[in-house]
Amino acid sequence: MPSVVVCTWSAGRDTLTGGDEEALTIGRQVCAGLDADLRLLAVGGLADGAAGRAAELGAQAIDTIDDAKLGEMSADVYVEALSQYCAAKKPELVLFNQTFDARLIAPRLAQRVHSGIVMNGVGLEARAGLDPDTEHEIQEDHIAVTTSAFGGDTRTVYALHGAETYIVCLNDNACLPEPAPSATSPQTESFTVDLSGVEERVRVIEKPKAEGPKLEDAAIIVAGGRGLEESGNFKLVQDLADALGGVAGASRPIVDDGWADAAQQVGLTGKITKPALYVAAGISGASQHMVGCSAAKTLVAINTDSDAAIFKHARFGIVGNCLEILPELTRAVKG
Amino acid sequence: MRIVVCAKQVLDPDAVNNYALVGKLEIGEDGRSLTQASIPRLMNAYDEQAIEAALKLRDAGVDLTLTVVTLGTEVDDMLKHAAALGADEIVRIDVDPATLDHHGVATALAAHIGRCDGVDLVLCGRQASDDDQGVVPAIVGEILGMPVVTIARSVDLIDGGVRVARVTPDGDETVEASFPAVVTISNEIGEPRYPTMKAKMSARKKTPTVVEESELGIPSDEISRKVVLTTQYVPEVEGDCEFIDGGSPAEIAGKLVARLRDENVI
Repeated sequence: MPSVVVCTWSAGRDTLTGGDEEALTIGRQVCAGLDADLRLLAVGGLADGAAGRAAELGAQAIDTIDDAKLGEMSADVYVEALSQYCAAKKPELVLFNQTFDARLIAPRLAQRVHSGIVMNGVGLEARAGLDPDTEHEIQEDHIAVTTSAFGGDTRTVYALHGAETYIVCLNDNACLPEPAPSATSPQTESFTVDLSGVEERVRVIEKPKAEGPKLEDAAIIVAGGRGLEESGNFKLVQDLADALGGVAGASRPIVDDGWADAAQQVGLTGKITKPALYVAAGISGASQHMVGCSAAKTLVAINTDSDAAIFKHARFGIVGNCLEILPELTRAVKG
Repeated sequence: MRIVVCAKQVLDPDAVNNYALVGKLEIGEDGRSLTQASIPRLMNAYDEQAIEAALKLRDAGVDLTLTVVTLGTEVDDMLKHAAALGADEIVRIDVDPATLDHHGVATALAAHIGRCDGVDLVLCGRQASDDDQGVVPAIVGEILGMPVVTIARSVDLIDGGVRVARVTPDGDETVEASFPAVVTISNEIGEPRYPTMKAKMSARKKTPTVVEESELGIPSDEISRKVVLTTQYVPEVEGDCEFIDGGSPAEIAGKLVARLRDENVI
């Protein structure tokens, strides 16, 4: 039976990582059209709560790959392990949550196993033939992947056809995780790999020092942009974030200008966030930024320009100067 | 040492963004391409930053030969810009990239790089600002058997290799890799420089080396498309914004906080 495999590396975590649940949800939906089994592949060990959560999300089987060499993230080792898995199991589709590491591992794996690769997926569908309204080369059944392009300004649809295996990386705000109509009871199978011939060629000299709470996990984010006018005013963003018990974020222009750290950047080339509340202060709402915050449950926009694109995405809007509004919001929250 | 930068010509993403913001971005009759002639074509900014990374090494006194290679038919202006920036050699692989998928593009680039003698370092932008896929550098590295280091803030030489600061979600990571290697460059490397007028003038006379697809010796099944772009569209955003107004900043702030508390957001 053909299979759709959601690949994760979640060792050391309590359950599936953020984004894996969305990938399983999308994977389950496309399985119906492909008449395929949905499998979870846990590389480097299965997190304790992951099997239970995968069952709720409809995984029909769980494969694990364990090896001492998989204890630390190593692209060379992970690519080798995954290519041995793909060569043996020949899955129709391998899905990744598009993390920093997946951005490197997925395309390398694709080349290794002669598969096709698409990144930035936001939707996936098994299609019989093609939309007759447009001209296409492919007339057979295929998988269609909808992706975000031009920094979110457009959506592109790619047809996958002709390769044995396809690899798709999904944006982790591609959908909301949705449990299967009825939970499954997946069996866990161990897949044995031989990694004796592979050594990581990229040597880590200094590991990143993760500081403070992560934007990706934050429930409340207050983010600032060029409307802050100068570097020192980023403090107003931080103050409101502190008052709300949230985390401060930034648009790319002010990170480029050095007003905020690269780790605080929200957007296409920064963090993809999904907080309950996102306050965008002095941010115009370019698509590149919205990619990183459009999954917020409630978005508040403060901008002097009433035509700013950010208001199209906002639940609440204030047309005004964020330098005046932010301190008052901080006061009102504290009071 | 020898550095090859892979560059892509893209539609100016700022112009695309401006058209998209006012709802005037047009999709061509084929249903998948942006055809507005008024949108300028230029070098992908991340690729320009890859050239900048090479020039920074040259500034630091490294004796290097810089080749900039691209695929396409009407890309000479972009390549001349690369020459004006400091490329010693500009190369155009004579293939229409629209006939290839990303794997095909990477296969052609890798075939060319593989034919060049003594390439130590391949630099690429982290992704292209048109399709945002960012897979070509990793595939090039995989084909050529080179280690791949992604999303660099800085690239420095060490004995027989590079030291790279990568911009990871958890902060910067410092790694090293031996030559030959592929490194992808992120915007954190800094603004690319402008070419001098004198450099622009002399670049005008430079002609790209043209490489025919047949010279690359790629079997046709290696380059046939597995991924086909079928459709492109502009996503619709349904605006549903409740504007909070009236009164002083303090009053407006008070109203917003009250609304957020009403809806249990905070």
